Amino acid sequence: MALNLRQKQTSCIIRMLNLNHQPNAGGATTGAGSSTEEVYKILVLDRFCRDILSPLIHVKDLRKHGITLYFVIDKERQTVPDVPAIYFVQPTTVNIGRIVADTARGLYESFHLNFSSSLPRPLLEELAAGALKADAVGRISKVYDQYLEFVTLEENLFSLAQRDIYVQLNDPSAGDQEIEGILEKIAGGLFCVLVTLGVVPVIRCASGGPAQMVAAALDTRLREHLVKKNNLFSESGTLVSSFQRPILCLFDRNFELAVGLQHDWSYRSLVHDVFDMKLNRVSVQGDKSPVKSYELDDSDPFWVSNCWSPFEKIALEIDAQLNKYKQDVEEVNRRTGGQKGAEFDGTDLIGNTKHLMNAVNSLPELTERKKLIDKHTNLATVLLGEIKNRALDSFCNLESEMSSKGSVDKNQLISQLKDKGTKEDKLRLAITYLLSVETTPQSELESIEAALRESDVDTCAFQYVKKIKSLNLSLNSSVASASKSNIVDWAEKLYGQSLSAVTAGMKNLLSGARQLALTRIVEALMEGKPNPEVDSYLLYDPRAPKSGTGAQLKGPFKEGIVFMIGGGNYIEYRSLMELAQRSQPTKHIMYGTTEILNGVDFVRQLQVLGQKMGLGSSSINPSQ
Amino acid sequence: MAKTRDRTEDFKDAVHTSAVSSGYTESKLAPVMASFIMRKPTQRLPFTKASLKTLESINELEHFIVRHQKDYLNLHRTTEQERDNIEHEVSVFVKASKEQIDILKNRIYDEEKHENATRWLPILSDGSHADEVAHKHGVVLILSERLHSVTSKFDQLRSIRIQDAINRATPRRKKHSFPTTKSQEVLKSDFTEPEGLELSSGPIRVQNQLLDDETLALQVELTSLLDAVQETETKMVEMSALNHLMSTHVLQQAQQIELLYEQVSFS
Repeated sequence: MALNLRQKQTSCIIRMLNLNHQPNAGGATTGAGSSTEEVYKILVLDRFCRDILSPLIHVKDLRKHGITLYFVIDKERQTVPDVPAIYFVQPTTVNIGRIVADTARGLYESFHLNFSSSLPRPLLEELAAGALKADAVGRISKVYDQYLEFVTLEENLFSLAQRDIYVQLNDPSAGDQEIEGILEKIAGGLFCVLVTLGVVPVIRCASGGPAQMVAAALDTRLREHLVKKNNLFSESGTLVSSFQRPILCLFDRNFELAVGLQHDWSYRSLVHDVFDMKLNRVSVQGDKSPVKSYELDDSDPFWVSNCWSPFEKIALEIDAQLNKYKQDVEEVNRRTGGQKGAEFDGTDLIGNTKHLMNAVNSLPELTERKKLIDKHTNLATVLLGEIKNRALDSFCNLESEMSSKGSVDKNQLISQLKDKGTKEDKLRLAITYLLSVETTPQSELESIEAALRESDVDTCAFQYVKKIKSLNLSLNSSVASASKSNIVDWAEKLYGQSLSAVTAGMKNLLSGARQLALTRIVEALMEGKPNPEVDSYLLYDPRAPKSGTGAQLKGPFKEGIVFMIGGGNYIEYRSLMELAQRSQPTKHIMYGTTEILNGVDFVRQLQVLGQKMGLGSSSINPSQ
Repeated sequence: MAKTRDRTEDFKDAVHTSAVSSGYTESKLAPVMASFIMRKPTQRLPFTKASLKTLESINELEHFIVRHQKDYLNLHRTTEQERDNIEHEVSVFVKASKEQIDILKNRIYDEEKHENATRWLPILSDGSHADEVAHKHGVVLILSERLHSVTSKFDQLRSIRIQDAINRATPRRKKHSFPTTKSQEVLKSDFTEPEGLELSSGPIRVQNQLLDDETLALQVELTSLLDAVQETETKMVEMSALNHLMSTHVLQQAQQIELLYEQVSFS
């Protein structure tokens, strides 16, 4: 039972677009299940749901399901008679108001309402009352709860698209009620994911902190739900053994703060960082060319095979692809006599026609390849420019040195802070230093802060992290000793400094996913063997009786869902994917988060927090 | 796939409760609840009816192709003539569907012009029918995409048939080169025979010689004709292959141009 979230969400959406009729298994392509009367439909979305659909379905695919037009609910729309409308929106008061207004105006023939998560009772009553007053009750054909309130970016990567959660949860001025509300929302989003997957996992989290509260809320919700007879999980059958149920590991961003800020050298992280990739799309401003928008997802074979490669390999790969493409074009030209001076052999006309046919058939494929190569060449060129301007390679090297060795050459650090790089880059370097080095003498901190101020950097975020560290909250679980590999220790002991320096340097260059604390813990949780690090982790099992006398399912687990509260990134995603692959036997791990943040976004959230706490300079400088 | 929850019943209950609490009398309540069960039958616009009919005919075309697919592809089940018939029918069907789609498209423009013409007052709500027009264009686009997908499927079948024809044509040309040499040898052996009969009567010999000459001439003529026919056949096969090749791509280009035009006209 491999969990493929993207596929499941797509099929739910397609079913919704077909007016929630049961899909006709093996039927004609028209989906004769739905009556031929309601073939052409209009789709009305709100912005959140549009973001849900955007990575999954393209506009032309919408047409395949009979959707002629799609609109955002906020925009002014006109009457289109004779057409049913499918609404896919979040259950909010504003949306309900607009729906009532639309039904009153009779914009469409019939309204099929689909809410991305469960419509709460008060809103349902509001809808009913509004429709009754407008005498439009007959127009509302159906009301559905879809449980799709999350964005799936890839097969194993999802986000709840809930912004600024880290700020809200760590805000010193936040009240209890507010925080509870936020945690309920997160639990709600996770609930939707679990409903779509059709699984009831075993939940594990560290004790104390948002992770525990979300786990408890989710557990309660699942229990309430499972008690009902016809619940949404009833068809998963009785999956009792831990081997068939997945584990859901909840983490809080404060567990491993440094990863959220670091510069990473892989293609994908660089693109995310530099171009601010959102929903698998990037917009690139060339030097003279207008802004171009590209899509980077599973349909791009170059991206799929090279997204984790270090940047220097990308240029080589693009070159290799380009050469191959040129060769293929040459061959096509040669075969069909497309070059000047080719002699037509009259007796072999049929052979020529065959070649011509093959050539013409391969043309679309060749054009596609060329487009891909152009796209990545463009991306890589602009990236290279940015890397040079911001000296991103030195930031990457310094940061990975710091995290793997736990110490760094101070002079290098200070000189980098004074040198090239945007303000966010320097802040990120400084904070990474704070978090990776165990002891930070005051003099060093002062010199770092001075260097930052010299570059006109707002040090709120730095002060904030300093404060947190001094309060000794469980920030840095990537304890230096655990993250260093054994080889380096052994080398140091036997051969002294020089060899250890070489091997450490090599590790930096090869730079595979470092052993993140997150990965370590997830591995331990999925293995289920007693382990001092995870034994203190709480366990919630919604299927187990409340009295807790049943055997606790501790593992081993074949499938896992890892969720990061407060903002996740591609570095963690990659690390988990590698863990899944190198496990014996291969495990299947999914990664989700409240939102995918790059280092720039996250450092901005830290800045906001620093300002709220009244630390650092008061000038709110929206730096580049 | 019970991954969604149907809340329509809840909605009905909520409507009922709301009506009762707002003081609706029984007589008022009844039609409201009835409207849930019996939907008001709306009069379908002629445009929608026509588009649904076109969709039905495209579906029928698809069924037809699927039904005859086996016959068409299998070399031994049908003759060339029957296959040509199938192709002809399909092309007639496709043309008819294409015409229907064009009619629908023209109707959109006509209706729009009519709207503009009858509005002699300044247009109050600018583009109040833009959504409706966009929807109709969308319907036409869906229909033409559907037709295109069906025809491309059929094109694939046709290309298989043409490939077969080409493959069959090529070895025959090679096989053909042998019979000519064989016939030469036979002719030579024929020559030796009459020599053996020289002792028989003279005039009969001359007559035989003449007949033989004639036969020889005829044979040569026939072989050369056969050659020419073979060549023409190969050229025909090739031309139909090229024609088929070009037509699919020209059709694609035409559709792309249409799409671009529509995008421009709506931006």
